[in-house]
Amino acid sequence: MVNGYSRQLYWQIHHLTQNHEDTDDVLQNTFIKAWKGIDNFNADSAISTWLYRIAYNESISFMKQKREMASIDDEDFIGQATFVADEYFDGDRTQHLLQEAISTLPAKQKQVFCMKYFDDLKYEEISETVGTSIGALKASYHIAVEKITKYLKGKE
Amino acid sequence: MSTKDKNILDAGGKYPFKVSDEYFDNLAARIMEQIPEENQVPQADNARTETKVIDINARRNRQNMWIKALSIAACFTLVVLLSIKFFPTLSNEEEATAEMTAQEYTDDDYNEDLMYYSMADYGDVYSYLSGAE
Repeated sequence: MVNGYSRQLYWQIHHLTQNHEDTDDVLQNTFIKAWKGIDNFNADSAISTWLYRIAYNESISFMKQKREMASIDDEDFIGQATFVADEYFDGDRTQHLLQEAISTLPAKQKQVFCMKYFDDLKYEEISETVGTSIGALKASYHIAVEKITKYLKGKE
Repeated sequence: MSTKDKNILDAGGKYPFKVSDEYFDNLAARIMEQIPEENQVPQADNARTETKVIDINARRNRQNMWIKALSIAACFTLVVLLSIKFFPTLSNEEEATAEMTAQEYTDDDYNEDLMYYSMADYGDVYSYLSGAE
């Protein structure tokens, strides 16, 4: 299971955490939780969907804990990331700005935007994985693009 | 929106992070190292481990309870079936005995019992019937 899904889950988690250390923690927790809860796995859904949902919930609770430690009250706000000293960051200044803008999005919008923009997934595929309707995904993506655009304008 | 920003969003893109293949190669081993620790778990997770044990026992207890209940129900059914089969026979025997007793209990028997309980003998009876004092 780890060998089959670790890469896919790693990047899905990374979309939310935006750094390797947090992603590593969440990914390990995800597989441990999956191992513990394998009896609860409902074979009606794909195992990738099941794992994705565990990973998403783990990411949210991890970031919430992190936010609480940082004493930030807004539930949806995950916090603006910095990538200056990130050895795993492999982009130029423009991509750096884009990642900063993404880091200001709520978790769901961030996830949908990254799956659409970076992973180039169709809404149908995202819907199957995330378990949200296509209409809601389109709305989330549209709002995310607007927010990112506004952020980038402010940085001009 | 400036042309530059529009290009960023229209271009789609390469995710600007990298991670070595070695990380994924070692990941399974690192996770497997943690799983036994999760099971051993000295203090904090004891309750969780105990809960699992309790669940197993509870399932076993439930099975035993069902077996006991079914056994009791089977015994009860057997008793009922046997009672239905033999109860009428016993009843007939009792009725037959009662009828025989009634038939054998004649008037003479009644008179003898009457004399016994009134402490009288045949002489007393004859003198009473003849009107002698």
